[in-house]
Amino acid sequence: MIEIQQLTFTYPHGSFHLHISELAVESASVSAVVGPSGSGKTTLLHLVSGILPIALGKILIDQTDLSTLTDAERRRFRLQQVGLVFQDFELIDYLSVIDNVLLPCRIGDAVALDDATQRRAEKLLEQSGLVDHIRKPVTQLSQGEKQRVAICRALLPKPAILLADEPTGNLDPTTSGQILDLMLSSARENNTTVMMVTHDHSLLNRFDHVIDFERFLTSSEPAPAARGTPE
Amino acid sequence: MSWRNALYLAVRSLSWYRGRAITVVLCLALTLWLPITVRLLLNQFREDIIARAVATPLIVGAKGSRIDLALHGLYFDSVSPDQTTMAESNYIHDTGFATPIPVHVQYRTQSVNRVAGVPIVGTTIEYFEFRKLGVAAGHGLSVLGDCVIGCDIAARMQLGPGDRILSAPRNAFNLAGNYPLKMNVVGVLAPSHSPDDNVVFVDIKTAWIIDGIGHGHQALKNADDGVLLEKTDTNVTASAAVLPFTEITPDNIDSFHFHGDEDGFPISAVIAQPSNRKNRTLLLGRYLTERRDIAQCVKPTEVVQDLLNIVFRVEHLVWLSSLLSATVTALLLTLVLSLSIRLRAVEIRTMHKLGCSRGTIAVLISTEFLMMCAAGILIAVTGAWLASVVAADGLKSLLF
Repeated sequence: MIEIQQLTFTYPHGSFHLHISELAVESASVSAVVGPSGSGKTTLLHLVSGILPIALGKILIDQTDLSTLTDAERRRFRLQQVGLVFQDFELIDYLSVIDNVLLPCRIGDAVALDDATQRRAEKLLEQSGLVDHIRKPVTQLSQGEKQRVAICRALLPKPAILLADEPTGNLDPTTSGQILDLMLSSARENNTTVMMVTHDHSLLNRFDHVIDFERFLTSSEPAPAARGTPE
Repeated sequence: MSWRNALYLAVRSLSWYRGRAITVVLCLALTLWLPITVRLLLNQFREDIIARAVATPLIVGAKGSRIDLALHGLYFDSVSPDQTTMAESNYIHDTGFATPIPVHVQYRTQSVNRVAGVPIVGTTIEYFEFRKLGVAAGHGLSVLGDCVIGCDIAARMQLGPGDRILSAPRNAFNLAGNYPLKMNVVGVLAPSHSPDDNVVFVDIKTAWIIDGIGHGHQALKNADDGVLLEKTDTNVTASAAVLPFTEITPDNIDSFHFHGDEDGFPISAVIAQPSNRKNRTLLLGRYLTERRDIAQCVKPTEVVQDLLNIVFRVEHLVWLSSLLSATVTALLLTLVLSLSIRLRAVEIRTMHKLGCSRGTIAVLISTEFLMMCAAGILIAVTGAWLASVVAADGLKSLLF
């Protein structure tokens, strides 16, 4: 479960201000995060993933208070517990498809790079329909295929939380649907909590909950919990 | 992050950005190659030149340049010093302080199989014992007109025992000058990795025949009057119509003779091999006192040391220029590296987002840089070694 309490965040050199009084996301739930550009959706994902440090307030993930963790502890937490999917895929050009998926194992010791992990990576790619592209450089893949590789990379360590920042933003509607299917089915299969930022309101019926940032911007009241806020 | 993973990612990155990697490696290799090569070559040169000088106790010759005298006595193929005479060799012999080994190097062979002529060294049998030169094929010098050749020359000119080789006149336009002598190759020396591998050895008397001091011709006692200018009971003067033999054969060898006193015959230098330290000092003393106006006695090690001091100065200049070019290369590499990091900002940001620490990213970039440095050093060292193998003889020939 993700619990946010009295979270306030500002960037050091900017006027942006994010304040969330209270927000709770159930374990194994699938939530969409919507709202206008600049409202802080991506910042929230970065705070929940531990990329950004928490100055004021608390984020509790399964009783782990991120605000008390050091940089190194947050990195380790991210590698072990969080899968990240980005709008522009953020794959490493000089690595093959399989190497991109295995990257979290190579850049840290939080996930062991053993035979079991290798097999899991291959299985994920097989499930994603990329089995024929395993040794190819990622530069040779289509946009949809690249995003599938990014999802496989995010799912490899069996994360408790999958955070996706507009993963379908650069894709056509058909591919968007396929990517979403892949991500959500894999997440449900593994009981992974999903928070996905999207601007595509046609996809919202696929989610258990919708966290609308419009409310944070227009209301000074505490934000409603995601729990029991069906769209 | 393990070194294995860092190496794996570094190799992938370097092969992807191979153009940049190759440029950096070549820059490093070229910058390092020059000073390493200079150091290797000079060390090799220093060892070679010192070893031969140390093995040669004293060299006696005419007054003049001590460097020319020492280098000629050691390497033959250098600027000729003023000539001395056989009297110097006989003098040393008479003192009993040292074994004299006369060396006479005035002529070269003609080119053979498109290989330029090499020096003809006239000496005595003692030289081969002194330098511990063995014969690999054929036999040593036995009669006038014989020659033994160094192994490098034998290989380059494709000569062996039974072949002939001609001496080259010093001046082809002097019709009254000495004639080329056809010499018999009777042996090939075993490799000694010294200048002895690149010369033709003859007996000192054969050298004098090449020099025109000794010669052989038809018997004049019963010669046609047409070739005689004057004939008395005690003396015969022949005209230019009597041609000297240009080849020494068993049939004409007895006709070869020398005019004049051997003491006056020219030689380039005398290698003196004292039997002990005391005799060496005594011999040096003689040349500092009673023979100081006639000849000089040099210690090759001292002369070579003087020469090396000059080489050291050249080496310092090379080091200085290499240091400057290394500084420029280092600055350029820093620029390339910082630009490369900037170009890879997205990749670095992604790694950070995934959970990679700044330290790990530094390790990744450092691994790439170290691999490029290692490749550059490897290429530079290999290139320097190859250059030292290939160019060592060339460098020596440039200096002497």
